[in-house]
Amino acid sequence: MSKFKKDSGKTVPGVNTASLPDIVFMLLFFFMVATTSKESDPSVKVVQPEGARTTDMTPFKQRSEIDFLYLGKPLNKARAAQYAKMGMEYLLFMDNVAQSKPDQLYNTNTIKTWKKDKFESKPPRMKKPIENVITCIKADKGAPSGLIFDIRKELQDIDALTVAYAVRESGKK
Amino acid sequence: MAKREIPEVNAGSMADIAFLLLIFFLVTTTMDKDQAYIRSIPKNIEVTTPPVPVQERDICAIQANSKNQLMIRGRLMSDPELISDEIVKFFRTNEKQNDPTNDFPMYSRISMSEIDALLNQAIKEAEETEATPNAMEEIIDFKYRQVAEWEKKKSALKLYGKNKLPEISVQAHIRIDVQKGTEYGLFAKIQSEVEEAFFELRDDAAKSIFNESYAKIKGRYAMDESKPDKEKLALLKILYPDRIIEVTPKQ
Repeated sequence: MSKFKKDSGKTVPGVNTASLPDIVFMLLFFFMVATTSKESDPSVKVVQPEGARTTDMTPFKQRSEIDFLYLGKPLNKARAAQYAKMGMEYLLFMDNVAQSKPDQLYNTNTIKTWKKDKFESKPPRMKKPIENVITCIKADKGAPSGLIFDIRKELQDIDALTVAYAVRESGKK
Repeated sequence: MAKREIPEVNAGSMADIAFLLLIFFLVTTTMDKDQAYIRSIPKNIEVTTPPVPVQERDICAIQANSKNQLMIRGRLMSDPELISDEIVKFFRTNEKQNDPTNDFPMYSRISMSEIDALLNQAIKEAEETEATPNAMEEIIDFKYRQVAEWEKKKSALKLYGKNKLPEISVQAHIRIDVQKGTEYGLFAKIQSEVEEAFFELRDDAAKSIFNESYAKIKGRYAMDESKPDKEKLALLKILYPDRIIEVTPKQ
């Protein structure tokens, strides 16, 4: 006669999942606080160079006082080959661009209209004078500086006089 | 009426809803911060008068060619890390005492009584210009800007606490001169070194004058824009002005 009873017929109690929403909400709030929204997914590949003593752009971003420009090699191989034939290895990508003509899309000539469109589309109470609206250039390490100055020239023509060169913060010092 | 039991709301799907939101935020946001160097582009104006010649000693030229070779003040340099040291040297060499034999920018040292005299003169001139009939709006503006400049210097010297305010030559500047083919990586490195040099200069000054680090003052000013911090930063800027010229490449 065994002292142990076999608890046959009894089922394992289910795990209590009542606190699962709490855990998930906690995670959700963490991510909502710790991250910022992506301005757009660029179609060019940008590997940023490193630099020290940079200015953090996040406060400007939250006040949407900043426009992003990307400069890099196109991700799409076919497109890369097509533009390489024309001698354009590095292409531009502007955030939230609404354009119809593809041949204008990657050209510096479009910057003026892009910048002006963005400026016009802002509600009046968020409008700052155009010379204070930051244009942040995120360029690839290998991109030629000549292109940066081409962009500067375009911005100068429409009096958008604040520019920011994006880098990755280096950990040294 | 009989008391009826209110059935509990089923919270089983709450987790699903929260998950959905979580995943949405995971996908649409990024963790990485945007870090950059802010520079201003000079306004496009038509220049009729020939530019004022700048003395060689007032230029700290950082040049890079399309083969990514560096040259600072006419000397070839292999290590870009040394740029900041060169800029610090550019500012420090004549800071304590002017030596006309070297080729670094000269400093002027102005005392409080001199500032007062010049400030009064500027105010008088501004008022006179305003009083003259059909004076141009721009000229009046310009005169008042000069008054503001002297007032700024006055408060800076008061804060500095010494007899004289050392000021680097007004023409002294850093000139970043790259070619079209220079890689952006090197261009950004130059910008980074320039920024680091100014940080070092201002940080040393901040520590000796206010016993605080430059980063601390700047961080506090970013949080709440208080007046004493603003004056401190203005003084540091007068001591080490960040005049940076980026030359548009021709080749």
